[in-house]
Amino acid sequence: MAAPSATGLCQRLRAWLPRIMPVRWSRYNPSYLEPEVNKELYQKPLEELTEEEREQMELKAVRPIKAAPPTLSSSVFSDPMISKFTNMMMKNGNKVLARSLMSQTLEAIKRKQLEKYHKAPENEKETIECNPYIIFHQALKNCQPIIGLSNITRGGKTYQVPVPLTDNRKRFLAMKWLITECRENKHRRMMLPEKLSQELLLAFNNEGPVIKKKHVLHKMAEANRAYAHFRWW
Amino acid sequence: TLRLICTTTAVQRKNAGASGPEKYTEAYIEKQIEEFNLGKRHLANMMGEDPETFTQEDIDRAIAYLFPSGLFDKQARPVMKHPSEIFPEQTKIQWGEDGRPFHFLFYTGKQSYYSLMHETYEKLLNVQKHQDELIAQDLPLQKEKRNLAGSRWLTKIELEEMLVEKMSDDDYSRFIQLLQKLVALPCADIEEKYIQKFAKEVPVQLQKVLIEPLQYDERGVAFSTGEGKRKTARATAVVYDNGTGKITVNGIDILHYFPVLQDREQLLFPFQFLGRIGKHDMVCTVSGGGRSAQAGAIRLASAKALRSFVTEKEVEFMRQAGLLTIDPRVKERKKPGQEGPRRKFTWKKR
Repeated sequence: MAAPSATGLCQRLRAWLPRIMPVRWSRYNPSYLEPEVNKELYQKPLEELTEEEREQMELKAVRPIKAAPPTLSSSVFSDPMISKFTNMMMKNGNKVLARSLMSQTLEAIKRKQLEKYHKAPENEKETIECNPYIIFHQALKNCQPIIGLSNITRGGKTYQVPVPLTDNRKRFLAMKWLITECRENKHRRMMLPEKLSQELLLAFNNEGPVIKKKHVLHKMAEANRAYAHFRWW
Repeated sequence: TLRLICTTTAVQRKNAGASGPEKYTEAYIEKQIEEFNLGKRHLANMMGEDPETFTQEDIDRAIAYLFPSGLFDKQARPVMKHPSEIFPEQTKIQWGEDGRPFHFLFYTGKQSYYSLMHETYEKLLNVQKHQDELIAQDLPLQKEKRNLAGSRWLTKIELEEMLVEKMSDDDYSRFIQLLQKLVALPCADIEEKYIQKFAKEVPVQLQKVLIEPLQYDERGVAFSTGEGKRKTARATAVVYDNGTGKITVNGIDILHYFPVLQDREQLLFPFQFLGRIGKHDMVCTVSGGGRSAQAGAIRLASAKALRSFVTEKEVEFMRQAGLLTIDPRVKERKKPGQEGPRRKFTWKKR
């Protein structure tokens, strides 16, 4: 019944272990591709796809695909950025607590925005953004630095050289700054979700300490412009 | 005359050393093949079977019966195989009687690899010349793209077997890069035959899996079962048709069994992906693992069960969404000399 196909799959997906164990490795064979969860991409008819997408589809039909991780789901409520942020907030593997803090933050943002909405006069009601997900994404985007500094040692002295950052690095820095800012510079009795919602609303309007930190980094990079030629990549 | 019976170790060890692994002459190997074939016929006669239709599996069974061995290492047990499988493939001696090597690249050390690279580059130059000729005559360049998805290049081990010579990872990657460069040119169809020597067909993934038909219980309701596992958790799921969307785990409703939202989202993932949330009922049993592992196991079991209700295209979509793959990630073992799987002991200066 179901047994033969299950054992067949198990034999094929036996642990991928190369002869010499490298330090950074994964249990998947390198030929496995990342899963694509978005339902709409599968419902598009064949004619609307571009050349690259067609090649991608053919490649996917032949290669095996990794299992979807537990944080990823095709429902409208799962957002990869929110999951990343929740994982960064997590301490000692307590995902339940991190997730509840995140939902409390989003609720707090929604409540504050609704208060503002009901108090505002008629003509300004349309400019107030009530969706907490949009506020979160926009705030993160505003906090992302464009250029970063890296330490390069030449002739005994270490210089701070301005360096372009990858997308992943920018997102990581923005999230890290937000979390450290909320953990350190808050009143002892204030709850983290409340402080986080405050910071996110300030970042949404391009104000607040995180945006200031980003501007300070940009100014340092501008000041050290002379050392830019030390970069070799 | 006197004859030395016991010689000193220094004299015995005179010629051993830098000659490398034992080289077998061709005559020796041919003799071994003859002996093997004769032995095969004798064995068939002994076992009372027909010598003409005596296959390798029959030989293995006969040897295991006649020479039972309790050794744990399978490779240490008695074995009777064709000499081409036992004696490793070796290259013949590469130089003539005067000591001059036959191949002009002998002194590079990796003569087959470098001659292969030279040949491939020659083909590349050929293709470029052909391209230039076509441009000179103002003819359109052929742009039929090879189907890259259905074929893969030979692996390093297969290439080593083909050339009977070891190569490093760098050499292999350089060769593959050269092949890709050759294939990327528009007029590469001329050298199709040469390229096909180094390419292999990859079959489509989906054809390997059998989808069971639906079963019907006493009331006439269609149902299907599926099994799933994740880490140490094992789950079985029975998905019924014409249902209201109720899910029961080990006799308990999911709201009570999985208080965390993330687990319930994972359970509903396959149904939400196919758009069949309120249409099926599910009854599952799960044991072992932790909270998240049990949720993952049930997700896999329900996805496997849903395959019978759904068209082949949707099954392919489920596979591409990662719903039908067993997650191979398990807890990494602790290593000796370290505190955990990755964490090392605290470094103390003294």
